[in-house]
Amino acid sequence: MTGVGPPSRGTANPDDARTVLVIEDEQKIRDIVRDALCEPTDRWFDAGTGADGLALAIAERPDLIVLDLGLPDLDGLEVCRQLRAITTVPIVVLSARHTERDKVALLDAGADDYVTKPFGPHELQARVRAQLRRARMPAGPSDDQPLVIGELVVDIHRRTVTRGDSSVHLTPTEWSLLIALATNPGRTLTHEQLFDAVWGKSYGQPQQYLRVYITHLRKKIEVEPYAPKFIVTEPGVGYRFEVDR
Amino acid sequence: MLGTWAARMRQRPVLPWFLWLGGLAALTVAFLPFRGHVDKLNVALTFLLVVLGGSAAGGRALGLTLAGTAYLDFHYFFVERYDSLVMAKPMDWLVLVAFLVTSLVAEQLLTRALERADVARLRAEEVERLAALGSETLHAGRAEDALSRILDVIRAELRVDRCDIIERGDISRRAEPWPDARTFVIPLVVRGRSVGLLRLTHSAPIALAPAQRRFVEVLSYYAALGLERVHLVAEAERADAFRQADALKSALIASLSHDLRTPLTTIKALASRLRVRALPEAASIEEEADRLNRLVTDLLDLSRLNAKAMPIRLELNTAEDLIGAAVQRVAGTVGSHRIVIVHPDDDDEPLAGEFDFVQSLRALVNLVENALKYSPAGAPVELSAARVGAHVEFRVADRGPGVAASERERVFEPFYRAPGVTADVGGAGLGLAIASRLAAEQGGAVRHEPRPGGGSIFTLSLCATDVTL
Repeated sequence: MTGVGPPSRGTANPDDARTVLVIEDEQKIRDIVRDALCEPTDRWFDAGTGADGLALAIAERPDLIVLDLGLPDLDGLEVCRQLRAITTVPIVVLSARHTERDKVALLDAGADDYVTKPFGPHELQARVRAQLRRARMPAGPSDDQPLVIGELVVDIHRRTVTRGDSSVHLTPTEWSLLIALATNPGRTLTHEQLFDAVWGKSYGQPQQYLRVYITHLRKKIEVEPYAPKFIVTEPGVGYRFEVDR
Repeated sequence: MLGTWAARMRQRPVLPWFLWLGGLAALTVAFLPFRGHVDKLNVALTFLLVVLGGSAAGGRALGLTLAGTAYLDFHYFFVERYDSLVMAKPMDWLVLVAFLVTSLVAEQLLTRALERADVARLRAEEVERLAALGSETLHAGRAEDALSRILDVIRAELRVDRCDIIERGDISRRAEPWPDARTFVIPLVVRGRSVGLLRLTHSAPIALAPAQRRFVEVLSYYAALGLERVHLVAEAERADAFRQADALKSALIASLSHDLRTPLTTIKALASRLRVRALPEAASIEEEADRLNRLVTDLLDLSRLNAKAMPIRLELNTAEDLIGAAVQRVAGTVGSHRIVIVHPDDDDEPLAGEFDFVQSLRALVNLVENALKYSPAGAPVELSAARVGAHVEFRVADRGPGVAASERERVFEPFYRAPGVTADVGGAGLGLAIASRLAAEQGGAVRHEPRPGGGSIFTLSLCATDVTL
């Protein structure tokens, strides 16, 4: 996260009341998003253009931004990049573009998640909930508190992983991979981001082996490696560490 | 200079005669008082110069006349026994011969020089004309304009009524009488290839002088080049139009997917709101919207495949990852069915391949969905992966009705539906066709074989790689 703007979490709001900003040019979709996401206590702002959206994001300090990619005035990707420069709150993108390249570009531009059209209200709710929960968690890995995900316990301080009662032995690469994923739970990391986190930018060409290392890692931590529950594949985009299970 | 001067002299023939004969007379008068003191050889030489000059200026007739007159003059006035024509010595005849030969040679040389000058002038004019034509055709913006300029020049130079071009494709189609003295046809050839015909038409029979013929031949090459340029420009424009159409197609596909999906979002949202109010129709509206979305996606993918516009990224991937993603993708549609993943116990090393993950996932999901669609309740779909030679093979086995031997080729055709299957089974019959083409796009294949004990096995075969970490 590279947010450099003012703290954007509205401290004046009680915990259950949120400020939601929706940037979407179609009135119908705006209504749907509002129906799906808004509690009666929420403050609600919507914008039909990217410029209005950016202005509202600065003025109202929303806790959540839902951004449509097909805006009439600005490229949605650019709006996302500018939003990310002023705020650290979750940005969930709505997109009718389905190609993986578009999705990777979105995540690299700082979006937290994307929902492809047509989407159902439940799908949107689930994605947004996950992002809000993630945003409430303390930023960065904490050394003294082990991560507990279901029956998996990851102790960053002592560099140990246990599944149930048995300890799991990981190679250094597998360990770095797990830490990169587990410290960003619920967030899809692109292949590029994972590679940078594990190998850095200067290391040869092992990037292509990322999928192989993931497969090895899954065999060690997943109950059923063919139906992974912790490390979920986001096809063509990257991997995500699930915490909902 | 000499040429134009001589030509002017020839146009006014009286003047040189007067000038040169007058000059000769003046010289005679000038020499007369000194004829006793001047060597007669000097006089002869001076007269020779006059003969030479007169021959050069006035041509053969004046030259010969001057030679004769000068000889008589010399002999009468300047040879001993003055004022008489009696031959003194036979050597005096030599003077006459010298005068005559000088005159003839000078005239000959002059004529030849004049001819050369004429030829040079004509050449210069021709080069000038061609250069002008070349620059005009190069300056003419459009290829058609350049060609019509060339035709204008030919028509004007040859003074014919019409000059036009018959393109190669049109030659056989036109039934005009060629063998006619009033038409003249020259083939247009560029680099040994005939591109058309140049046709001259005139109200009177056309007779071309050799020079004109040469002119037409040279210019017809220009016309041929011009015609070829027209063709090339047309071809380039056509190619450009194709490119634009391609870009348009891509843009259309993109905007179509956007325009179709946005209303589907609204429909799904409204249906879900209705479901909250416990309206039983709401669920089927949502299902139908999903089905429509799948159909839109399938049709877009099929048109992308047809347009060879499907992006393929071959990367190192593992079979385990692909199977996991496929199972996750179909999780929502499994319903009462079950998917069993069959894998060997000793699978320590991942099964790796070089394939496009996204497109292969789509192919595998289509195969699994197809199997789920035809499986009877309670019979699980079996999914497995294995290395077979240079390939990773994903096998999807069901206990469905199978495929009749006669239909085996056709199951991979778009919009194919097994005979006797109701439309309710879902899908437009695109799943297998898309799977097969997606596999083929990355050097793989989808095969079908009957499953022992009933049902079908669909195999997705992709390129394998060896991995050493």
